[in-house]
Amino acid sequence: MSGRRTRLAVTASALALLSVGLGACSDKGGDPMRQYGPNPWLPEPKQYLLPPMSVPKAVGWKPGETPTVASRLRIQAMARGLVHPRIVYPLPNGDVLVVESNSPGTKPFRPKDYIQGKVKARAGAAAKGGNRITLLRDSNGDGIPELRTVLVDHLHSPYGVAWVARNLYVANTDAILAFPFTPGETKITAPGVKLADLPAGPIDHHWTKAMVASPDGSKLYVGVGSNSNITENGMDAEEGRAAIYEVDRVSGAKRIYAAGTRNPTNLAIQPETGTLFAVVNERDEIGPDLVPDYLTSIRDGGFYGWPWSYWGSHVDVRVRPQNPAMVAKAIRPDYGLSSHVASLGLAFSHGETLSPRFAAGAFVGEHGSWDRSPLNGYQVIFVPFVNGRPKGATVPVVTGFLAPDHRTVRGRPVGVALDRTGALIIADDVGNIVWRVSAASAH
Amino acid sequence: MARRATGGEAKLLHPFFISIGGTLLMAALFTDYMYSSNALMQWSNFSAWLIASGLVLALVAAIVLLIEVALGRAGTIRWLDFILLAAAALLSIVNVLVHTRDAWTSVVPTGITLSAIVAVLLLVAGLRGWTVTAPPVPAREREPRP
Repeated sequence: MSGRRTRLAVTASALALLSVGLGACSDKGGDPMRQYGPNPWLPEPKQYLLPPMSVPKAVGWKPGETPTVASRLRIQAMARGLVHPRIVYPLPNGDVLVVESNSPGTKPFRPKDYIQGKVKARAGAAAKGGNRITLLRDSNGDGIPELRTVLVDHLHSPYGVAWVARNLYVANTDAILAFPFTPGETKITAPGVKLADLPAGPIDHHWTKAMVASPDGSKLYVGVGSNSNITENGMDAEEGRAAIYEVDRVSGAKRIYAAGTRNPTNLAIQPETGTLFAVVNERDEIGPDLVPDYLTSIRDGGFYGWPWSYWGSHVDVRVRPQNPAMVAKAIRPDYGLSSHVASLGLAFSHGETLSPRFAAGAFVGEHGSWDRSPLNGYQVIFVPFVNGRPKGATVPVVTGFLAPDHRTVRGRPVGVALDRTGALIIADDVGNIVWRVSAASAH
Repeated sequence: MARRATGGEAKLLHPFFISIGGTLLMAALFTDYMYSSNALMQWSNFSAWLIASGLVLALVAAIVLLIEVALGRAGTIRWLDFILLAAAALLSIVNVLVHTRDAWTSVVPTGITLSAIVAVLLLVAGLRGWTVTAPPVPAREREPRP
């Protein structure tokens, strides 16, 4: 008798536990549109029992499939069969550089890290990067390159590139290298000269080093991501991380230009004002609608909250010791991009090359969420600018990376750029393709 | 305690695994306490590994117990010990999930509370001998006494 009652009690408590777990699992995110713009809706933070993970399976593009583009635009694959392309960078002569790269790999700290790594690998996050830069030459501007060569090989998880003063600067995950290079050349054989070290191993959680040159070419700005989601690898590991560095292009001397930017995944100079802008990926695991990733202008000496607070002064209780003095200093970002989209690409438009709608503003590549249901991102959007500031509603430009069933993903957009003809080029690190979006009339 | 009987019946094996797993789970209370007092993440990492390993050993112990029951080598079930150990295991499953959170809330307040409850349950179970069943009854004793 007592045995049966016990079994019942055990079964009931097991079911209760299971439902708590599932309850945490089925927690759905709200409408992402409420979180675009200068005043995103911010719900109360929550703590999960099961780590939130919702990852579509990477399947790639079948022959004939392409992403969907906004009206009066056309899309074509400019190059296929790349090895995890992340960044596209047009040179002044029209050649396009494609940085093929991925994480150098990090060692797990906790049992969770093993499982999370396996799940993220489903969406292609674990694919090995090419550690090289491929050059595409499309002289006649029809979007079909006549030449494709490996410009530089054997790099170490490269990301940002900048061509300044007859040097190609490449931001590896651990250092900026300078390669003497003149556009037109198709192969660099000389070894790079190290300009400056960058914060890297042994953890290197957010490994990408986005880079952009200042308008006068004297400085290089470099985005260095945090070494954790929210300090769970220890405060010591965050020394010099979650910051944007300013590196003197000649001497290599560096300083922290702005801090508290959790993962500044891309940087760009706004063409009219010369202001440095960044897309920043915010923290995870306090809800499907927290915290919105953002696009913001970067102030010299500015502090943007991470780790102690988000979106200005919203304190994150997971960080100890807390730091009210830094919370008080935290700058609210300019423009929310909604939560967990993983905004990785940023490029300003150069006038009405694609469409009058896209005359002034920024294209943002949203790699797509891994810890939110419904999935969010997986598209390239346009953020309109007025007087050098983001203003107005975003416009989806390139969509359909996610298959219609929302369970499989064909591609994930990363870096974006405008080529010499004004066409939008997009690195897709799951499809291993570089896409080119041009005005439908132009051929 | 179980003695090797003339009928060739061996000692129970499952208490061995319960005792190791239980010790790891109890140790997590200490590492949780250390993290709550100094906020050094490595203590929280220790807790996550201790609880995860404790649960693996709990699974091994459960399998061994089932085999012992199936082979008829175990004595009768001691329900109080079963409840203590089952509750500790279930709470530890919740606790290992709580410990997957990042930084402070992986331990304070829910994680360390669960670790403390589990430690008390296991302390009692340990003092009672880390066993779910009574010792195996030697074949000789099963025969009706004259």
